[in-house]
Amino acid sequence: MTASGTALSLSGLTKRFGGLVAVDDVTIDLESRKLNAIIGPNGAGKTTLFNLITGEIAADSGRVTFQGRDIVNRKPHEIVRSGISRTLQIKSVFGGLTVGDNVRAAVLAHERIMTPFRPVSSYRAVAARSNDLIEEVGLSDHRGALASSLSYGDVALLEMALALAAQPKLLLLDEPVCGMGPQETERTVAMITGISRHTDVILIEHDMEVVFDIADFIMVMAQGGILATGTAAEIASDAKVQEAYLGSPEDD
Amino acid sequence: MTVSHARVLGLTVLVLALIAVPYALPALGANFWVNIIAEILIWSLLAASVNLLLGYLGLLSFGQSLYFGFGMYGVALSINAWDVGFWSALAIGMAAASVMALIAGVLAVRLTWHYFAIITVVFSLIFYFAAMSMKWLTGGDDGVSFTPPPVMNLGGYKLLLTDPTAQYYVILGIVAGCFALMALIVNSPLGLSFKAIRENDRRAALIGINVYRTRLIAFVLAGALAGVSGALFAFFGRYASASYMFYHVSGEAVVWAIVGGASSLLGPLFGAGALIIFRELVSNAWEHYLIAVGVITILVVMFAPRGIAGSWNDLLHKAFMRRSQGADPNKPAAVIEEPR
Ligand SMILES: Nc1ncnc2c1ncn2[C@@H]1O[C@H](COP(=O)(O)OP(=O)(O)O)[C@@H](O)[C@H]1O
Ligand SMILES: [Mg+2]
Repeated sequence: MTASGTALSLSGLTKRFGGLVAVDDVTIDLESRKLNAIIGPNGAGKTTLFNLITGEIAADSGRVTFQGRDIVNRKPHEIVRSGISRTLQIKSVFGGLTVGDNVRAAVLAHERIMTPFRPVSSYRAVAARSNDLIEEVGLSDHRGALASSLSYGDVALLEMALALAAQPKLLLLDEPVCGMGPQETERTVAMITGISRHTDVILIEHDMEVVFDIADFIMVMAQGGILATGTAAEIASDAKVQEAYLGSPEDD
Repeated sequence: MTVSHARVLGLTVLVLALIAVPYALPALGANFWVNIIAEILIWSLLAASVNLLLGYLGLLSFGQSLYFGFGMYGVALSINAWDVGFWSALAIGMAAASVMALIAGVLAVRLTWHYFAIITVVFSLIFYFAAMSMKWLTGGDDGVSFTPPPVMNLGGYKLLLTDPTAQYYVILGIVAGCFALMALIVNSPLGLSFKAIRENDRRAALIGINVYRTRLIAFVLAGALAGVSGALFAFFGRYASASYMFYHVSGEAVVWAIVGGASSLLGPLFGAGALIIFRELVSNAWEHYLIAVGVITILVVMFAPRGIAGSWNDLLHKAFMRRSQGADPNKPAAVIEEPR
């Protein structure tokens, strides 16, 4: 594992929706080997920032540099293949497929296996890796269940397995514990810190307790821009941050 | 007996019944029905091409008649112009349909939902009117006829389509081969990527699937299936006609696929079978029988959205799952194998 470098570097990244500047000239270097978190009130532009990084929304201007290359506005599947995986704020899996097929599809896509005539079941290595991933996220008991039959927390875990199947160098997590009960939250937080030991993680999270507990570095967004950056202690005592949060009472 | 045993048994019965058709039906004094069953087999491939897109990728094409037409004309024109053999003509028909599907697909699969449905119809309409007006080539409505070459030439013995039994088996063999290939494809990594796109195209892209390219591959495969269907229909009728490129042919295939059960492999066969048999039984007696077809379709969509094949599968699961669940109480209720 390399010593610290840059996990991701954003420069002048901007996205407008009509008159609204959802992401406003964001420039930042996020360090590798740290658990980076992005917080900010609802509508601050956090999810849009992820959408720009993963190529799902075209940026109006700016650069996204990952591993020395500008990846801005490349296609989502190409960006995944370059090593950035993500989970979505609204958990997103293949509902009509079994847990096993969900993960196998992701492993096959990562291995770029698209053969037309050999059964999926005959790929031993794929099956083994899928099983490992399912075990890693703790869904072994649900391997044969349809993804649509899982509880919300289990869907989030499955989504995590899909993201990890691509063996990402950078993992973007959008509110991973949102909607989870205390036990699920604890398990998921432990998993995220575990992953962050070998993979760069950028975490959007609403739960301040979680963020202050696990994040090494926090970036606060408001109205599309960066309001503050620093460690948990620095952010907690930042007057601008407190103002931003008090100023948006609907934020939970 | 388990669900998969019951399935294998059902498939075996179906195959044996289809093999028995040219002998069993004439013995029952129903010669005429041999050709009806052959026709059902041919049309089931067109319905299967709709199903490949609708059932496995979630794309509703209302334009499969275009590729059916290219399959027909590929056969008719190549035989008339170059005097090619049976298998070459079949391959040319399939290739012509695939190339057309590639051209249309490059544009069409950029779209989804009703936009996709509309662009597929538009493509087929453009070529329908073009084919209707290019009478010198296509014969328009009247079409062009041809004499089918022998299927095989074994040292003096010629296997000819003029023998209804031989013709039936040639059609059955090719149709069965196509369904077997499709079965392989939907269970392959490629097929799993189709289903992933059907379920959630955003997530599919986010696991690294090139959604556009994968949809295009499926569209070309569906075009090839429709092309084989059209090629066989040309051999069956000894002619090709632009009238089969009209969108009502596409629409009928959509209805067969939905009634039979989209996303189940053999659903299109059951759908085409049920509705064509219904047509043969009723259309002579009642000229507005299409009203009944419409009502049947609506009822299926409302009360059995997974069609004939889906309902059959559900029935098997109800009949056999209780026992296997009793044996393994840890399995959640939703444990099922990939529906076929
Ligand atoms: N696709 C879109 N079209 C128009 N407006 C959007 C779109 N996506 C996000 N927005 C707007 O951009 C702003 C930032 O949204 P978002 O990035 O989801 O915020 P956050 O994730 O920080 O809560 C919001 O005002 C939102 O309504
Ligand atoms: Mg958000």
